[in-house]
Amino acid sequence: MSATGSSREELNCLACPSCDLVFDISKLNDGESARCTRCGHFLTVYREGTLHRVMAFTSSALILMALACSFPFMTFKASGLESVMTLPETALKLWIYDMPGLSLLVAAFIIIIPTLMLLLILFLVGALLLNRNYSWLPRVGRLVYTLESWSMVEVFFIGVLVSLVKIAKMATIVMGISFWAYGAFSILFILALSGLDRAQCWGRIEALGIKGMASGEVPSERLGDNE
Amino acid sequence: MNSSLTAASRGLASCHLCLKLVSHTLHDCPRCGSEIHIRKVNSLQHTLAFLITASILYIPANLLPIMITDQLGRSTESTILGGVVLLIELGSIPIALVIFIASVMIPLAKLLVMFYLCWSVHHGPPEGTRQRTVLYRITEFIGKWSLIDVFVVAILVALIHLSNLLVIRPGIATVAFAGVVIASMLAAESFDPRLMWDQLETEDE
Ligand SMILES: [Zn+2]
Ligand SMILES: [Zn+2]
Repeated sequence: MSATGSSREELNCLACPSCDLVFDISKLNDGESARCTRCGHFLTVYREGTLHRVMAFTSSALILMALACSFPFMTFKASGLESVMTLPETALKLWIYDMPGLSLLVAAFIIIIPTLMLLLILFLVGALLLNRNYSWLPRVGRLVYTLESWSMVEVFFIGVLVSLVKIAKMATIVMGISFWAYGAFSILFILALSGLDRAQCWGRIEALGIKGMASGEVPSERLGDNE
Repeated sequence: MNSSLTAASRGLASCHLCLKLVSHTLHDCPRCGSEIHIRKVNSLQHTLAFLITASILYIPANLLPIMITDQLGRSTESTILGGVVLLIELGSIPIALVIFIASVMIPLAKLLVMFYLCWSVHHGPPEGTRQRTVLYRITEFIGKWSLIDVFVVAILVALIHLSNLLVIRPGIATVAFAGVVIASMLAAESFDPRLMWDQLETEDE
């Protein structure tokens, strides 16, 4: 069977990433999700009106990240002495101890990649909410979903908790503003990403493109969102 | 009716990035611009290469010091395994067990599972394909969580620096351990579970 142009499958269907079985996902109701019947892989979830929420989570998360980078994270107190740690220092200290590669990786995993992703999501969701078909939209979307597996926000925060357990008996630990900011940041970050279902998000990007082509141009004054 | 056929058997390929179904003859995805391949390119070779890298790094990660503690002018180097032995000697068997499982067993189990999955593509029992797919997805999910150990070292190094009293420095095993985790993550990402199902399909015919 030759599939040229846009066949029905190409528009409405999805192949399971784990076993390649094809499923029609165009008839999901609000809140319904689809799973592969052969291997159980999660396919997609359709929810109405998630974009506004994603926008709110994303912008709050960016503010929290700015706070997390500018205040002390934790203070270690023992025998009348104390030392302070900030979030960027987690990566910078490794550089000082001659591990530049690891230092860059840690900075990328916990600060740079998550922040970059949020900024890109701001543009992506902003364009979708404004119903505008910008030429950079697919490129931004591709970057967001490529970076997704390399953000370690939640892993780092659990690492912080494990460290606390390890040293709790040795000294007094005081949590700073940055600690609470990063904790809240990791929750908002996960919530924002969970509102951006891969198949649904790309469906919207594609729909904008098709609409743009059909009408020649999308009216620029309209600010409504078709959710 | 549709759900009895795979995309490949209909001449379709699924975009790895945006999941769009397109004709396998296309070069780039019309929706997101990523390259289109029916299956991940050279999946088994890439997976095995990353697995071997990770296995080699696993040795220094466990044998070399992961952290150095300078306490009152005395330096103590600690390895992952040394820490476990110390805890057993001190009688904290439960904590020793948790650290042993999280830092030693799980990274090793991930490597063994991925080696097994690669082998099973051509030699595995067909009736276990679903279980093996689930096993793959669990391994893929656990992947990044092993970095906790690396973060713990980074945090303790950044936090504890009381000039002459107590300073913690990172050991070289931290780099090796990060290498193990990242190479295993890349191995999981290169592996294509659909190859196991393809095998099933050819046997059915
Ligand atoms: Zn499946
Ligand atoms: Zn695509």
